Amino acid sequence: MPLVKTPKPTWSQKLKRFFMIDLIKGLGLTLKYNIGAITDKDSVAGKGIYTEQYPKVRPDVAPRFHGAPRLNMDPETHDTLCIACNLCAIACPEDCIDVIAMDVEIIVAGKPRRKKVLDEFIFDTSRCMFCALCQEACPTACLELTQEFELATYSRAGFVWNREMLEQGRETVKYTS
Amino acid sequence: MLLLGPVNVLNDLLLRFFSQETINFFIWPLIQIGLVVTLVALWVAYATYLERKISAFMQARLGPMRVGPWGLLQPIADGLKLLTKEDFIPEKADRWIFFFAPYIAVASAFIVFSVVPFGPDWAVIADVNIGLLLVLAVSSVGVLALILAGWSSNSKYALLGGLRSSAQMVSYEVAMGLSLIGALMFARTLSLSGIVGAQGSDSIWFILYQPAGFMLFLISGIAENNRAPFDLPEAESELVAGFHTEYSGMRWSLFFMAEYAAMVVVSAVAATVYLGGWYFPFVYRLETAGYHNLYVIVSLLVFLVKVSIILYIYFWLRWTLPRFRYDQLMDIGWKWLIPSALINIALSAIAIFLVQALNGYRGMRTIESLDRGLNLTATGKGIMIVIGFAGVFIIAALLARINWRSRDFNLKTQRRNIRLVNLPKGKPAVSVSEV
Amino acid sequence: MHQVEIATTQETLLDSPEMVLNMGPQHPSTHGVLRVVLRLDGETVIDLDCDIGYLHRGMEKIAENRMYTMIAPYWDRLDYIAAVSNGLVWVETVEQMMGLAVPPRAHYLRTILTEFNRIASHLLWLATHALDIGAITVLLWALREREEILKIFERQFGARLTCHAWRVGGMPNDAYDDFEKDVRQFANNFPKRLDEYETVLSENRIWLSRTVGIGVISAADAIAIGLSGPSLRGSGVPWDVRKSRPYAAYADVDFDVPLGENGDTYDRYLVRLEEMRQSRRIILQALENLPDGPVNAKLPKVVKPPVGDYYHSIEGPKGEIGCYLVSDGTAQPYRVRVRPPSFINLQALKQMCVGHLVADVVAIIGTLDIVLGEIDR
Ligand code: SF4
Ligand code: SF4
Repeated sequence: MPLVKTPKPTWSQKLKRFFMIDLIKGLGLTLKYNIGAITDKDSVAGKGIYTEQYPKVRPDVAPRFHGAPRLNMDPETHDTLCIACNLCAIACPEDCIDVIAMDVEIIVAGKPRRKKVLDEFIFDTSRCMFCALCQEACPTACLELTQEFELATYSRAGFVWNREMLEQGRETVKYTS
Repeated sequence: MLLLGPVNVLNDLLLRFFSQETINFFIWPLIQIGLVVTLVALWVAYATYLERKISAFMQARLGPMRVGPWGLLQPIADGLKLLTKEDFIPEKADRWIFFFAPYIAVASAFIVFSVVPFGPDWAVIADVNIGLLLVLAVSSVGVLALILAGWSSNSKYALLGGLRSSAQMVSYEVAMGLSLIGALMFARTLSLSGIVGAQGSDSIWFILYQPAGFMLFLISGIAENNRAPFDLPEAESELVAGFHTEYSGMRWSLFFMAEYAAMVVVSAVAATVYLGGWYFPFVYRLETAGYHNLYVIVSLLVFLVKVSIILYIYFWLRWTLPRFRYDQLMDIGWKWLIPSALINIALSAIAIFLVQALNGYRGMRTIESLDRGLNLTATGKGIMIVIGFAGVFIIAALLARINWRSRDFNLKTQRRNIRLVNLPKGKPAVSVSEV
Repeated sequence: MHQVEIATTQETLLDSPEMVLNMGPQHPSTHGVLRVVLRLDGETVIDLDCDIGYLHRGMEKIAENRMYTMIAPYWDRLDYIAAVSNGLVWVETVEQMMGLAVPPRAHYLRTILTEFNRIASHLLWLATHALDIGAITVLLWALREREEILKIFERQFGARLTCHAWRVGGMPNDAYDDFEKDVRQFANNFPKRLDEYETVLSENRIWLSRTVGIGVISAADAIAIGLSGPSLRGSGVPWDVRKSRPYAAYADVDFDVPLGENGDTYDRYLVRLEEMRQSRRIILQALENLPDGPVNAKLPKVVKPPVGDYYHSIEGPKGEIGCYLVSDGTAQPYRVRVRPPSFINLQALKQMCVGHLVADVVAIIGTLDIVLGEIDR
């Protein structure tokens, strides 16, 4: 056994060891916690229980949280804000975004013009690492990672979100009890 | 008397089919056994619940909360889950031994309950006159289950776990038996009911005479049960799950139940021998007032409370202390516990001798009678208690002296401190010698 | 080489054959998917061999096919326990190669948040180390404090574990509104919590007997193997990248470096605990002097470092995280190489373990504080 240098114990340390103060202190602390948890009090931060009863009590997720993606819509017209510029798809390191645009003819100032509008938007959440680079790339604040965090599905196909899911949000079963 | 009503009705009913003898010697014991096994199984199940709750509280969380109010139905849900799980037997395992090992574990743990006096009168299933010996003997059969389980699984982790458990149990069995002898000197009987009676007639708990014995018994009991900080056979961070690595489903839960049942057994024995069993001051007044059954039930509750307190100590230690290493465990067993137990026996003998010798010295009266156990007067008790508590320190000091040269003892010194250096900034590398 | 001597001088009582034990890749205390092949005599380790690569994801190769700005989130996945530090080494390498001047506020915030990450990483180390040695309750206590830090991360970065904390040139967001309040609250409570861990562990005789004299590595050996971080400082080698080559705002803060003496598990434990205290000190200093201003430098449209190569390293929680970058002038790196502290620290495992028991192997793996994501990359 390699020898280690330890300081010579003083008498008070020796006595402490003899009366097992080290063990008793530890036991005292756990007992304090036990009582603190029952009375929900703690000397340091004022509460005894630190866990959240998750499905019953929903956690409050930070506003900046990168969760489920969403395509924002204009609150008045309910048109999508997306201009099909494809910047998000370019910014994504994982290539999980597919922006499918179509050309439509619109009349601007009496003249027919071609305009690119969003047709379909595919977002593969199974490959996404929620880095938010796409959100930062979007010029119109259309693509946003929301506070929604329950993304589990029963199939791989369920991870691929289309435009409707991105706009309306996916239906999730919320277990509350 | 109300309580005995249905009993009488049942007795009458049974009389139609059997003779009174068969009923007394066969049917009633069976009913008793069935009742006790059910209750003990429930108790064990709720011991797991309690452990989970207590550990949760110690860790600033809530523990099981989902099944039933405050998660009270959790043990039942667990049992159902384990029953429906696949009972997996590894391909290369020794099938039959693998099959039966859990049953040996459970049986050995449950048989012991037959001699545990839960209370006076009808709360004892069998008052065997060698009760304590039976407890020690049967609980040591439990180790066989662990070895067999470890061996038959054909897994290296299980094997190591089995080996560890056999070594551990063999060495701690000795300490456990020896530590009880001190208390037996006062009780002068091996019958567990007799030990309770001795404490009752003396109106004292033996823990006061034998604090060192109690501690030794508890420590070796914890080790015997493979509980933390001595849970080496199943140390999950080293041996995955030790001897039951390969077990799953109900068979695994049998081991689990055996562990908890063994824990309850050791607590029950500790409560019986050192904490007066079901005896509690003034409860006997119920008996003299004529409420016999109430007396039995209150005594039973007293016993349960005592056992629960010791169980709490079990949980408390487990969730506070780190785990010993294998060689340290052996060190503690052979170098500390067994010598301590031997010294404790010697000290108890000296104490008894001293108290007897002092009887009559300068008109001092220390002994009331020697009919049953050692009935002492208040002075005698005082002397005995003083010697008992002094004994703890005498033993500790002696052993510290004996073990002083032991490598392990010297390693376990007090905390060290580390140096704090404020290194210069921007200086690429600093050599060791410079600081 | 005292450890090896033990193995040879220790006599075997029984002439028992050796046993080869596969520890891992599925084992509760190999901290991921490390496979350690142990050769045992009884329970004494004669020899061991590490088998790694179960978590290989080809990070360095992936980086060759990504734009410079896109690589940072991957770097979080190297050492996922210390994602913030790992992200920092990447962005700082790119910034320094390009000669970008990052605003001081960003530097200070980076200092604060990487120190938080150091505390979080050390807390997780303490939790798992204590769990390996059997003190289960400390696990949940430590995770409770880590949770506070992760909450700060969630509010600041939007993610808890793999934060993608930094962008080349600065930070994605300024500090959130209650940042200072949260930090101060944490800093207020944290020393008391540390004292609580110490109450349960530092003087506990079981803890001492499990850690003192276990896994000793001398300073010379440690330097020869190339250990870094607390594992190196536990052996008494004064080496800390934060001091020797200050990055971010470390040049402006004052802190001490804890050094062990014996290089055993207990020393490393004390060193890490003290490092947490020092981290708190750094955080408070940096918060006190937090300058105002922007948090982002002006970036060119496409991040393209000049042709050449560059090495930059920072002091991560586990040791020196280095990043060697070769650029060919395009928008994607030509070659990236990571210096993973865990990988190099793991090399000491054999030397530390031989002659000890199986239970000590677990303790030593714990004390090395390895993360397999980083070892396998
Ligand atoms: S969050 Fe990151 S990985 Fe996910 S889609 Fe956006 S850019 Fe791609
Ligand atoms: S960057 Fe925004 S606007 Fe452009 S395609 Fe993506 S979601 Fe649409």
